[in-house]
Amino acid sequence: MSRTQALSKDEILHLAKLAKLNLTDKEIEKYQAQLGETIEYVKNLDELNTEKALPTNSVVDLKNITFSDGDKNERNLKIDKLFQVDRMM
Amino acid sequence: MLLGKSLLQLKKLVAEKKVSYKEINDFFLKRIQKYNSQLNAFLTVSKNQETGLPIAIKDNFCVKGLRTTASAKVLNDFIPNYESTVTTRLKKNGFNFLGKTNMDAWAHGSSTETSDYGPTKNPWDLSRSPGGSSGGTAAAVSAYLAPAGIGSETAGSVRQPAAWSGIVGLKPTFGRVSRYGVIAMGSSFDCPGPMTINVEDAAFLLKQIAGKDQFDATSSPQPVVDYQNLMKKTRKFTIGISEDYFTNLEKGLEKKIQESIEIFQKMGHTVKKVKLLSPKYSISVYTILQRAEVSSNLARYDGIRYGNDRTHFGAEAKRRIMLGTYVLSYGYYDAFYKKAQKVRTLIIENFKEVFKEVDVILTPTTPVAALKLGEFEKYPFFGEMMDVLNEPAAIAGIPAINIPVGLDDNSLPVGLSIMGNYFDEASILNLAYQFENETDFFGVIKKGISNYGK
Amino acid sequence: MENKYQPVIGLEIHVELKTKSKMFCQCSADYFGQKPNLHVCPVCLGLPGALPVPNEKAISWMQKIGAALDCELTKDSKFDRKHYNYPDLPKGYQISQYEEPFAINGKIKIKNKQFRIRRVHMEEDTAKLIHEDKGTLIDFNRSGVPLVEIVTEPDFNNAEDVKAFLEELQVIIRYLDVSDADMEKGSMRLEPNISAMKIGLGTLPPYKVEVKNINSFRFVKQAIEYEIKRQVELLEKGETPIQETRGWDDKKNKTFSQRTKEEAQDYRYFPEPDIPPFTFEKKYLYEIKKNLPELPQQKVDRYIKDFKIKEADAFVITRNIKTAAYFETVVLKNKNYQQVANLIINKKISTDLSPIEFAKKTDELLATKTTDMQALNKAIDNAIKNNFQVVNDYKKGKTNAIMFLVGQVMRELKGNAEAKVVIDSLKKIIG
Repeated sequence: MSRTQALSKDEILHLAKLAKLNLTDKEIEKYQAQLGETIEYVKNLDELNTEKALPTNSVVDLKNITFSDGDKNERNLKIDKLFQVDRMM
Repeated sequence: MLLGKSLLQLKKLVAEKKVSYKEINDFFLKRIQKYNSQLNAFLTVSKNQETGLPIAIKDNFCVKGLRTTASAKVLNDFIPNYESTVTTRLKKNGFNFLGKTNMDAWAHGSSTETSDYGPTKNPWDLSRSPGGSSGGTAAAVSAYLAPAGIGSETAGSVRQPAAWSGIVGLKPTFGRVSRYGVIAMGSSFDCPGPMTINVEDAAFLLKQIAGKDQFDATSSPQPVVDYQNLMKKTRKFTIGISEDYFTNLEKGLEKKIQESIEIFQKMGHTVKKVKLLSPKYSISVYTILQRAEVSSNLARYDGIRYGNDRTHFGAEAKRRIMLGTYVLSYGYYDAFYKKAQKVRTLIIENFKEVFKEVDVILTPTTPVAALKLGEFEKYPFFGEMMDVLNEPAAIAGIPAINIPVGLDDNSLPVGLSIMGNYFDEASILNLAYQFENETDFFGVIKKGISNYGK
Repeated sequence: MENKYQPVIGLEIHVELKTKSKMFCQCSADYFGQKPNLHVCPVCLGLPGALPVPNEKAISWMQKIGAALDCELTKDSKFDRKHYNYPDLPKGYQISQYEEPFAINGKIKIKNKQFRIRRVHMEEDTAKLIHEDKGTLIDFNRSGVPLVEIVTEPDFNNAEDVKAFLEELQVIIRYLDVSDADMEKGSMRLEPNISAMKIGLGTLPPYKVEVKNINSFRFVKQAIEYEIKRQVELLEKGETPIQETRGWDDKKNKTFSQRTKEEAQDYRYFPEPDIPPFTFEKKYLYEIKKNLPELPQQKVDRYIKDFKIKEADAFVITRNIKTAAYFETVVLKNKNYQQVANLIINKKISTDLSPIEFAKKTDELLATKTTDMQALNKAIDNAIKNNFQVVNDYKKGKTNAIMFLVGQVMRELKGNAEAKVVIDSLKKIIG
């Protein structure tokens, strides 16, 4: 049985900041345990030897997919107003 | 009598002038009015129901002018002024959308319980989950509130609810069907797919929606073949079975799966043992990569241009965003994300090797039948654990179809998945069709519909 | 005080490409001066379900830039997602390049110095923020416009070199005709990373300060010199300048801190799953390099060698590719290379003229006209005879009056005389 190691409060707060999420104290505590448990589980990948494996950066066999500059814009949305955000960080 | 008619049968009736599209749509609308409050399958019912072959659309497909929420409060009032490629193609081919179906919020889950609008109930047992994340579509089709529907699968989200609700569900090859306009969950996993009451409808719908899309760079230029035709060809298959997929199964479910394998053998197909990497690693690969992509794909929801702000995210979404952020963050990227990508390569290579020996691979779709509502809260990564048997195919990007193969000891549907090689939907549809003709799925689908007769 | 320290400067330059479409969608990339949010679509607005598809021309222009900067064009390349939160970034991430950019390891030579380029990569521009009292307004016309980012090694140790480098870079890019590279309009942006190193220490300083908002060539030198001075003052006090981002205030002529607490940004790069990777054949990449136009420095070298004109003059002429083209067309016929150079530099002839007209006009101005003395004398006689009053005026001291007579003579001779010869002859005859 793998021991579940909870994440620290600082780690949770740091992640929440990066992800722009506001968490309650209860949520922080919950995630400390839950994320810890999940991370412990996924460490089972260390059992596999991936020395010779290249990471799969793309699941499709396609390459060099592009569109031609100047193609007709079929998806234009004329919004005609400015978006507003009330408080700048 | 329209009850239980397949999409193609309905189409034929209209062509023979035995019934009109309006009558058909009215028929389903009445059923939705009657049963939806029990099931909570539909979130939004369309106002326009005059014409076209009716179909249910999962609520993560953007439909122009039709409320699209991905079952998330963040998008509570979101009405897109643009359209997904899948629904554009369906509209062009004469389909009508009955409405948008419930799902796990943002497709995060395997039970439709993380929906911000309440869970969908399993038509077979209202105290149970229909599966997820395409639970609303599955329930709608199972109880015949729609003759067919479109769902999406990231890892199991079409096949697992199809299994728990006792219908046919197809996950095409990644890139076979365009993702443009589908609210993104796992960008390298998401596959729109048909959910139907028979195999031919699935083949028919796949043809309508498959094909290269200029707006989706990962969509494949592989030609779209005549699936219905190829499905009916006489073929004998070499079927692979991997031991690791048959551990920890519920007893009643396991019995039905074994019986099905024997039926395939009796039909003249060869069953062969193959060695696939244990699915337990797929849970880790999928959890890491999918949650990383989720944390990224949900970064755009800041409430400025549309929708509500990030305080409206539900618990599951927040949990996945946090884990995803963690595995991508400085100092952890190599150990988690990059490692998972490397194991992804191993899984892909493994499948490619095995498909040199066999044509298709069989696996139970789920280790257990439909669970009671509320079970999922016990697990920090419930969705991923429930879909253990579906994740390998999702990780590799190969196609797979769920077919009902009977009922377990609790009279709940049992599903079997047939996995195929890249872009070989024709083979898995063919074998599924053969099984349907041989067994009529043991009457499961018909029984499910008759439970909601009249 | 400042002699103890040496500036260590690396540059980050963004160049906006003037493609017709944006980087990942078909919206018009021509955003400058347009009504807000006119050129937008689900992709550049970051709407749910939208997907990016790269602009082919943007990529090939990006490779052109890389080739022109003497980079190695990479055979395998891909896009990555770069995550951070800001209202001008609709998806919450920018599609950029991290591990496998389109070009690496280049250089620009200026005089006898060489400045190395670490990498050149492709990305998308952000929306434009308009700060007002009631809040901040966002215009997404610019969101998704193709951007090329050029990152140099910290090879600069003074502001003059930085300015010279930028100017050369601007000319190179304009030669390629892929961008207006205009700092004032924002199609070329500079963010220097500045630190000060104690001379003799050997190791790079343990901090660097990024300076933003330098939006004119005028301010480049000022901003850098201000910042160096500020840092040296701190270092002299025994303090290490904070690693941070500062903005240039062109009204107060100083840099100011833009972050209250600098936390190293964690961009959480990972490969963009919506865009398949790129692979280029060696032959294809070779062709890009081969098909580059002659670049400014190559022209300068050639003008000096083939036309023997002064380096400074060659430099001026080559600052604008059209001017250089004129020069090259004209000197096909006219072998007075230095004279032609002078005419062009001193703007004696308008370069708005077509090269052929230009060449003709040049010929006219430079033509050593052989004056027919007989015809000249006859014309002078006539001019004097017919303009007695003017001649008297001249004799009385109105020196300018002679120009009128010159005009008359020229008219009769139909311009076939050297002005100087006419004036001298007139003066001699009139007395």
